[in-house]
Amino acid sequence: MDCLRNAKSGAETLLDYCSGALEPARVAELERHIKVCAECRSAVEAQRELWETLDHWKAPAVSADFNARLYARIARENEAPAWRRWVRRLTQPAAPYALWKPAAAALVCTVLAVGFLVEMPAERHAPHAPSASAQIETEQVDIEQVANALEELDLLTPPAPSKATTTSANPM
Amino acid sequence: MEAIAALERDAELMLRVRAGDDTSFGVLLDRHRAPVVHFLYRMVQNDAVSEELAQEVFLRVYRSRATYEPTAKFTTWLFRIATHLALNWIRDGKKEKGQESLNDAVEGMERQVPDRQPTVEQEMLYAVKLKEVREAIGMLPEKQRAAVMMHKYEELDYSQIARALGCSESAVKSLLFRAYEALRVRLRHMA
Repeated sequence: MDCLRNAKSGAETLLDYCSGALEPARVAELERHIKVCAECRSAVEAQRELWETLDHWKAPAVSADFNARLYARIARENEAPAWRRWVRRLTQPAAPYALWKPAAAALVCTVLAVGFLVEMPAERHAPHAPSASAQIETEQVDIEQVANALEELDLLTPPAPSKATTTSANPM
Repeated sequence: MEAIAALERDAELMLRVRAGDDTSFGVLLDRHRAPVVHFLYRMVQNDAVSEELAQEVFLRVYRSRATYEPTAKFTTWLFRIATHLALNWIRDGKKEKGQESLNDAVEGMERQVPDRQPTVEQEMLYAVKLKEVREAIGMLPEKQRAAVMMHKYEELDYSQIARALGCSESAVKSLLFRAYEALRVRLRHMA
């Protein structure tokens, strides 16, 4: 048998041995090994000591009226209106994380979608002061438009006649 | 074989509860009440809160009886609900509000003493050891604590703990190795 520290599942073997979950064949193998390996023997002893230390903590006995209190709660719940019982089942599921997470995600998506749809027309009808970035963007567009317009004007304007042409065209 | 028979019996009882047999719910309650309360007690370290949470566990089981399907072991399902409630309670910060004083340790000890009368020294030594164990476990991260409680005290196997915690078996093993290592270091002086 490999040393517990070297074996891939050494830590698991150690836990299983101390908790009594290790198969009998492997128990015998481990016990043979720890007789000759001081390091593994020390690891087993440390875990066993921890196990015994944890045994000190005994939980207190359950109250004698536990069942009676529970049945009273069940009776109260059975008397509640059906809608309230339904809400409780939905908000306090017995299988945690099974249903409520996707349901909550769907609810958030719906709220966001509704909020987006409600907000959009309002924006169209009631324009408000544009943000700084929007202003910069608008200014950039305006400058471009102006530049383009000037270029177009340039194209439309007949080229300035050369001096020679001017002289010949204008006898004065 | 006995364990398998017991698990099948749990599922069978729950199916009877689903069919409207409340007596079977009583049988399930009697079988699992103590392990659930004890697990919760060690998780939240508060006597009254652990019983309150355990009541909530069984109430949720009863509420969902109509939709019960024996897809997983009943115990795993029960501990999954219990773990969920305990972790929520701890995360909600209720721990500080309802934390029991050191008196609880002594009170707990008084209930646990064997028939023969312990000496005052034995009682004091026991109280000190108990306090140290509780504190060492209380210092573990929540999930490590839950894994240790289910493994050490409730003797659940790795797959059951994994399902209760909603993680993989290898993650559970990793949680346990780290937790036991931390406890070994913290409680070394008590050995």
